[in-house]
Amino acid sequence: MPTASAIPVPLEVYRFQPGVDAKPSYRRYELELSPHTPVLSALLKVRAEVDPTLSLRYSCRSAICGSCAMRINSKSRLACETPVGPEIERHGRIVVEPMANQPVIRDLVVDQASFWKEYERIEPHLKPDPLHPMPEGRPNPMTPAEVERFHDTPRCIACAACYSACPAVAADPAFPGPMALAKLYRFVVDPRDGAHQDRLVRIQTEGLWLCLRCHLCTEACPKDVRPSERIRDLKEMAIAAQGATEHGSRHAVGFKTNIRAAGTLNESRLVRQTFGVVGMLPQLPHGLAIWRKKPEVAKRPRPIEGADELEKIYEALDPEEPR
Amino acid sequence: MLRHDVVVVGAGLAGQRAALAAIEAGRDVAIVSKLHPLRSHSGAAQGGINAAVGAEDSVDTHIFDTVKGSDYLGDQDAIEFFCREAGPIVVEMEHFGTIFSRSDDGSLARRPFGGAHFPRTIYAADRTGLALLQALWERLGSERLTLYAEWDLVDLVVRDGRVHGLVAFDRTSGEFAEIAAKAVVLATGPAGRVYAKTTNAHSCTGDGIAAAYAAGAFLKDMEFVQFHPTALLESSILITEGARGEGGLLKNASGEQFMVRYAPHVKELASRDVVSRAIVTEVKEGRGFSGPFGGYVHLELMHLGRERVESRLTEICDFARRFAGIDPVTEPIPVYPAQHYMMGGIGTDIHGATNLTGLYAAGEAACVSIHGANRLGGNSLLETLVFGREAGRAAAAYAATAPAPEMHASDLEAAAAPLRAWSARTDGEDPSTLRTEMQRTMEECAGIYRDAAGMLEGIQRLRALRARFEKVRVVDRSPVYNLNLTDALETGHLLELAEVILVGAYARTESRGAHARTDFPKRDDARWMRHTLARRTPTGPALDYAPVAFTRFEPTERVY
Ligand SMILES: Cc1cc2nc3c(=O)[nH]c(=O)nc-3n(C[C@H](O)[C@H](O)[C@H](O)COP(=O)(O)OP(=O)(O)OC[C@H]3O[C@@H](n4cnc5c(N)ncnc54)[C@H](O)[C@@H]3O)c2cc1C
Ligand code: FES
Repeated sequence: MPTASAIPVPLEVYRFQPGVDAKPSYRRYELELSPHTPVLSALLKVRAEVDPTLSLRYSCRSAICGSCAMRINSKSRLACETPVGPEIERHGRIVVEPMANQPVIRDLVVDQASFWKEYERIEPHLKPDPLHPMPEGRPNPMTPAEVERFHDTPRCIACAACYSACPAVAADPAFPGPMALAKLYRFVVDPRDGAHQDRLVRIQTEGLWLCLRCHLCTEACPKDVRPSERIRDLKEMAIAAQGATEHGSRHAVGFKTNIRAAGTLNESRLVRQTFGVVGMLPQLPHGLAIWRKKPEVAKRPRPIEGADELEKIYEALDPEEPR
Repeated sequence: MLRHDVVVVGAGLAGQRAALAAIEAGRDVAIVSKLHPLRSHSGAAQGGINAAVGAEDSVDTHIFDTVKGSDYLGDQDAIEFFCREAGPIVVEMEHFGTIFSRSDDGSLARRPFGGAHFPRTIYAADRTGLALLQALWERLGSERLTLYAEWDLVDLVVRDGRVHGLVAFDRTSGEFAEIAAKAVVLATGPAGRVYAKTTNAHSCTGDGIAAAYAAGAFLKDMEFVQFHPTALLESSILITEGARGEGGLLKNASGEQFMVRYAPHVKELASRDVVSRAIVTEVKEGRGFSGPFGGYVHLELMHLGRERVESRLTEICDFARRFAGIDPVTEPIPVYPAQHYMMGGIGTDIHGATNLTGLYAAGEAACVSIHGANRLGGNSLLETLVFGREAGRAAAAYAATAPAPEMHASDLEAAAAPLRAWSARTDGEDPSTLRTEMQRTMEECAGIYRDAAGMLEGIQRLRALRARFEKVRVVDRSPVYNLNLTDALETGHLLELAEVILVGAYARTESRGAHARTDFPKRDDARWMRHTLARRTPTGPALDYAPVAFTRFEPTERVY
């Protein structure tokens, strides 16, 4: 047992009770802790020894119940598995705040209603195919390889760290958020589910394409679920299932054909590919404004040098796909 | 006033399975849970769930293993029923969507577990509890029931031996609410936080057991507490049996593989109680390590090599690195036994019925009893499903014909009064001080080894703590998410249960399963082949005893 000696740990904790406090404040607690002590233990020590009025959610203290996600030095993570030592080394102090994108109930406790609503919205339950009923009295056969296809999505503990870290959630209430989409993926690859096609078609118009591809969810996820990669998988599956019929998927396909053809974007062509000739009309004033500032956008860009090399890469990646 | 046919308290596997059964029986069902259902402690179970589905295995072997594991205190009629339901209910969970690990031929993969003749434990990697909990919650579907999430049960309303409903407390608003119910199912899980060292979550405070006890239900076999031999020092996070299964060795401070002396044949793979007692003996006799978090021994995995440790024991590597700052590939893991499971609980029959009309219980909060004096790994997840369903069905059947419950306005006032008094006080102790002292007392006086003198002292210390609890003070005056108040509520429950454990253990002058007395080291079937029943009186628990049900297995000495 390494008996690393205790280090000073200045904690600055967000305190706020809507309706009572005029505005949030940060209270500072000075603790002495060994470096591997989790932030959760530090907060519980504050509760037990200094200030029992500090409020937070916690239960398992072993990163499995998903209760204790919060922002620690601005990053959304689980307090129970974030040791104080590295935080102090990097930042000199530990600032603890409630998760973002969810209204504060009190101190570090947030209202998760919208998070749970998005999870329910993707209908997270098996919808067996009536034509292929489950084998009576026996488990569905499934090979280890088929189990592998779920990736790590079953590890999700619904902690909402991804939801807190996601700028798309902040920007657009129509975006279901990374957790809900990773959950959807889990059903779309489940061989026991009979509604893959419906699920994919529906999600195309219900927020799939609002993902900004920033990967902050994958960085925040304590369980390596990698929601952004699963969202990418869903997009590919959606296009394969339905073709590029939505703005989002048409934009994606347009982007690819542009790059493949010239190694650069033809922006006005991309707008047309995304919205169609008629659908483009409402974008016209916007386009004209850009054109006034940057007339070169209207020109067809020249292929970049070595664009033909690109074609080889595409060929190698996707020999089936016609040019 | 809120009203439902069946109110299930607790949304772990047992509570959810009960709710599903009651919904399928056509009743209007609500769940009251202090955690969101998906945050229940069932999600922490790693190892797996038992069902004799392998070709070489049989339901009869599962029955025998469970009876023997219970040190013959399990009720054999209940165990027979339990093991017979295992296969079908696990298949049902698979059909609900559980992603179990598979063998190459596509069947459910199984791993060996202590006390079982054959590999019988079906699993989902090292997160079986989470896999089951997700699948069940997703199947149950929140739209089919009313969910009161982050509500705490405060008191059951019982009149003339029948339950009429309950009073609960909404953490978010801080308001008390009455819920009238024709039947109530308690599925509030374990009470591990009675001890300082426990693998259980912070939320495992035995609330439902204490509420049933306060309402006049009897508690069964509470003195039987299972300790897991290998919990991480300091945090007591579980290091599964798998670590020893893979070849992990236990070493004392002089580097000796001490299990050779205690169990020469199976060594590290002896049953949980044997290994736990060996570790405690090593430390007590000065051969362990000592440090700021108490004595401990080493669990060594280094000799297995990085490849094997990282691929086969991924989660354990994670735990040790994250929660103890230790890399098991290059360093030994400091471990010490910790409380892990309560065999006892609210006494029920096979259908989850208690001695109070309309009150049912299931899961770790209940005691049927199938675990007797010692639970086998993998049997408790199974118990939550089998007896959760039974309790839900029985509660629904009773509610279908029961007369309307009668709640009075004074019920809410009576339940809320003590909490309001705690908050109104201007001096008094914080609940966390009392909780810490209670946990230390239980650690010292009701641990792995017990004797009369220690337990008597423990009972006295607990009574003093209970007297101090009468003047507990809640300084947080906010109605909103007031953890200081829920801390006090939980501490009161734990204090009650701690006393029941100690009084029952003191009375049982024998050693059986997890109950090991240094002053009575032998099992005594003539006097003690019976269940302890504790009933609450103003002066403490009153004990009574009930016979054990036998069907086909005569007790023999339990050797492995
Ligand atoms: C670390 C660990 C690993 C384990 N591994 C295994 C294993 O591999 N195999 C196995 O068979 N068993 C295992 N067990 C045991 C098993 O997990 C538990 O016995 C079982 O999950 C208990 O389920 P439950 O539904 O009874 O209770 P829980 O899952 O604990 O649920 C209790 C519910 O009650 C609610 N509740 C509690 N108090 C109140 C209140 N006052 N008001 C309202 N709601 C309340 C909670 O919110 C929660 O929803 C393990 C246990 C631990 C601690
Ligand atoms: S307390 Fe459960 S995830 Fe942190």
